[in-house]
Amino acid sequence: MTPAVDVANVSKIFNAGKPNQVNALIDVSMQVETGSFVSLIGPSGCGKSTLLRLIADLIQPTGGDIRINGKIAKQARLDQDYGMAFQQAGLFDWRKVARNIELPLELRGWDKTRRKARSAEMLELVKLSEFANHYPWELSGGMQQRVAIARALAVDPPLLLMDEPFGALDEMTREHMQAELIRICEATGKTVVFVTHSIPEAVYLSDRVVVMSPRPGRITQLVDVDLGSRVEQARESTEFFKKITEVREALRGIEYGLLAANETSRTSAGVIER
Amino acid sequence: MNRVLRIAAPLVWGAMFLGAWQWLVVSRNIKPFLLPKPTAIWSVLINNKSLIGNAAKATATNALIGLVAGSIAAILVAFVAQRFSTVRSLINPISAAFNTMPIVALGPIFYNMFGSTSDTARRVVVALVAFFPVFVNVLKGLTQVEPVHEELMRSYAASDVAFLKLVRLPNALGYLTTGLRVAASLSVIAAVVVEYFGGLQNGLGSRVSNAMKLSQTPKAWAYITSAILMGLLFYVAGLLFERFAMPWNTRRQAADS
Repeated sequence: MTPAVDVANVSKIFNAGKPNQVNALIDVSMQVETGSFVSLIGPSGCGKSTLLRLIADLIQPTGGDIRINGKIAKQARLDQDYGMAFQQAGLFDWRKVARNIELPLELRGWDKTRRKARSAEMLELVKLSEFANHYPWELSGGMQQRVAIARALAVDPPLLLMDEPFGALDEMTREHMQAELIRICEATGKTVVFVTHSIPEAVYLSDRVVVMSPRPGRITQLVDVDLGSRVEQARESTEFFKKITEVREALRGIEYGLLAANETSRTSAGVIER
Repeated sequence: MNRVLRIAAPLVWGAMFLGAWQWLVVSRNIKPFLLPKPTAIWSVLINNKSLIGNAAKATATNALIGLVAGSIAAILVAFVAQRFSTVRSLINPISAAFNTMPIVALGPIFYNMFGSTSDTARRVVVALVAFFPVFVNVLKGLTQVEPVHEELMRSYAASDVAFLKLVRLPNALGYLTTGLRVAASLSVIAAVVVEYFGGLQNGLGSRVSNAMKLSQTPKAWAYITSAILMGLLFYVAGLLFERFAMPWNTRRQAADS
C-alpha cells in the first residue's frame, strides 16, 4: 500500500554557497502510513517545520523526492490533498467564523448552499456552532485554533499537516485541544503529521514520534507508541511515562552530541560556538 | 455609563476651556484685536452666517475635490507600485521625503502655473497633500500580508488574482482608512493655508488674512472657528467611511472601549 507521505532522501539547504548557508535538512527519509498520527519533535533548528513545509510544497527541496499518496508534492498541493494548521490560527479578521471555514471551499468553486452546509457541519465537529456569525477576534485563542482546524478539515483532505497548532495555548486548553484532535481524527480517519516542542503532547497524540536533531537537520530516532484508545487515563498509564522517557532520552542524546561537537569546535577554532 | 462619560467628558472640558478664555479676556481687560472673547467670536459667526458659510463652501469644495482626486491617484499608484519590488523598497525613503516637504509652500508656484483666478492650483496642492498618507498606507496594506496568510493561500493553491481579492485587498482596507483619516484632516488644513498665498478671495483662508489686515480679529476668529468645524466634519466623515467599509472592525472598537 502506498504510504500517505513518502519522504525519500530529502535535503534542504538555505542560502546555498553563501556564508550564511544553512543545512536545514540532510538526506531525510520518512514514511507515514495512511491513517496514522506522526509527530516530529526536536530542538529548535532541527528542521521539523522545514520538513512539514516541504511536505506541504510551501517550499521546494534542494534534493530528494516527496510524495503524498503517490502524487508529487506540488500536485498534491494543487489538488488540495491536505489541510494545514499553524501555530497562529491565521484566521482572516474580515470574515466571520463560518466564512473563514468556507474560504478553501470558495477557492475550490463550491456553491454557496454547499459551502454553508459544510461550514455548519465543521463547526459542529469542533463544537463552535453558536459562534458561526462571530468575528474571529470575539473568540478566545483556543476557540480560534479550533476554527483553524475546522478550516483545515473543510475540504475533507486525507492528510492534516499541523505546525505546533497548540503551541500558543495554555496547558489546560492544550490538553483539551489534544483530546478534541484525537476525537476528530478518530471520527474522520485522517493521517496527521504534527510538529511539536512538547514531549507529552507528541507521545499522547502519536502512533509514532520522529526525533530530529539539528545542524544538519536529520532524523535520529523513531519511537513507536501504542497507548490503546486515547482516553484521559492514558495520560497516567505506565506506557505513557515509559515512552516520554524514551523520547526524552533520545532528545538528551542529541544535546550531549551537540555539546561534544561544540567542545571540539571550541578547541579546534579557539572560539565558543553556540 | 461609559458611553455617557465618553461624550460628556470632552464637552465639559471644552466648556471649561471656553469659560476660562472668556474669564481671562474679561478680567484682564484684553483688547479685542489681540484676543476677542468667545462670546464676541460667536456673535460675529452668527451675524455673518451666510458670508462665512459661502467662504466655507468654497474651501470645503477645494478640500473635498483635492482629497478625492489625491486619494484615487494614490490608490492607483499604490497598486502599480505593489507589483514592483524596487518601488516597494523605496516606500520608507519616499514617505520620509514627502513628510518633510512643505507642499503648501508650492502654492505660489502652482498659482503661477494654473492661474490665480481659478481654484485649480489649490486643488492640486490639496491632492498632493492627500496623496502621500494614502499612498504609503495602501502600499503597506497591499504588501504587508501576514506570513501565515501567505502560506495558507499557497496551501490552497490560490491564484494571484484570488490572493489579491481575498487577502491583499481586505488587508489593505484597514490601512486605507487610516491613510484617509490622516489625509482628510490634512486636506482641510492645506485648503485653508494655501489661500494665504493669494489667488481667489473666496475661501476661509483668504478671509482670515483679509480680516487680520483690517484688524478685524473677532471676524478672523470666526472664520478660523468655521475652519475648525470643517476639519471636524471631514474627520467624522473619515470615521463613518471606516465604519461602513470595515464592519468587522467597528464592532471590535465598540467592544474595546
